[in-house]
Amino acid sequence: MFSLFYGLWKYMFSKTEFHVLILGIDKAGKTTLLEKLKSLYSNLEGLPPDRIVPTVGLNIGRIEASNTKLVFWDLGGQPGLRSIWEKYYEEAHAVVYVIDATCPLRFEDSKSALEKVLRHEDLQGAPLLILANKQDLADSVSAEELARYLDLKKLDERVYMFEAVSAYDGMGIKESVEWLVEVMERSKRTEMLRARAGATGPASN
Amino acid sequence: MGILFTKMFASLFGNKEARILVLGLDNAGKTTILYRLQMGEVVSTIPTIGFNVETVQYNNIKFQVWDLGGQTSIRPYWRCYFPNTQAIIYVVDSSDTDRLVIAKDEFHAILEEEELKGAVVLIFANKQDLPGALDDAAITEALELHKIKNRQWAIFKTSAIKGEGLFEGLDWLSNTLKSGGG
Repeated sequence: MFSLFYGLWKYMFSKTEFHVLILGIDKAGKTTLLEKLKSLYSNLEGLPPDRIVPTVGLNIGRIEASNTKLVFWDLGGQPGLRSIWEKYYEEAHAVVYVIDATCPLRFEDSKSALEKVLRHEDLQGAPLLILANKQDLADSVSAEELARYLDLKKLDERVYMFEAVSAYDGMGIKESVEWLVEVMERSKRTEMLRARAGATGPASN
Repeated sequence: MGILFTKMFASLFGNKEARILVLGLDNAGKTTILYRLQMGEVVSTIPTIGFNVETVQYNNIKFQVWDLGGQTSIRPYWRCYFPNTQAIIYVVDSSDTDRLVIAKDEFHAILEEEELKGAVVLIFANKQDLPGALDDAAITEALELHKIKNRQWAIFKTSAIKGEGLFEGLDWLSNTLKSGGG
């Protein structure tokens, strides 16, 4: 009996949980971003940047922002590890793609990895936030310049935004999260994922 | 090096009782890893319930090791060792390709355990020194690590015999537990 009411309670008052994938090539600053998110939005400290090592797996950050629960999945970006990205696409509400804005030499690598992400059908309709990271450094390019460098085609149907951020000092992070919450709340993909979850029950494991 | 890590772990858990399970099929290299870490004397116990658990106690952290697979009748007793487990270190013999499917099944069965839901997972793709050993990406695929979505995980290539990769893995583990775990 109790569990029945508890279930109803949970149904009525639980907030939607959004899954956000943090992708990008190695050394872009994905984990630094994740730790910054944790320290800005939760009571966890978050690791200081100098303690962060290359990710070879999955890091998770759970935060609450604008009355919404967000779960960030940060996956390793080294070439050998990128093959697991797509295994997480199906359940993602949105993608944050992190690029080291101080390193034009690797823009091409970033671009081709991103194009591959966008081509994948499991990510259809997922809002995309592209971060020109490391703005705390003097030689970083702006979000506009980065957009010009990348020259992405076929983005027209997708909701997307470029944002200049520094995962190191926190610049642009709050704006990014606000944008994400707003677009996820009204995206068709969220509706689609919600309908699917309702039909099959929440995924376990 | 071993001492450094034991100090790190000690500061991490404070005075709380903590448990780290080191699991894997037989012959994966679990005991060798414990010896390599030099955290203390490995004590082997063969209790009356009939499965062999090795324990290394360092301050308030217990590292406990046993083989997965085999006899199903003793499995209920595994649960005695589940409470307060902060982390699971899963050790795989990367050269034993014939048994990777069993290693995968046992791994996911353990992750289903209610009392282990909060534990973070560190995978050692061990025996990298042997010819034919699969690399971390291949082991990731074989163990279907992508099915883990509600907790943090990481995989490291190790050679327990040579002592390679172990401390990098533990470094990840201590950082992860420090920054709030799974």
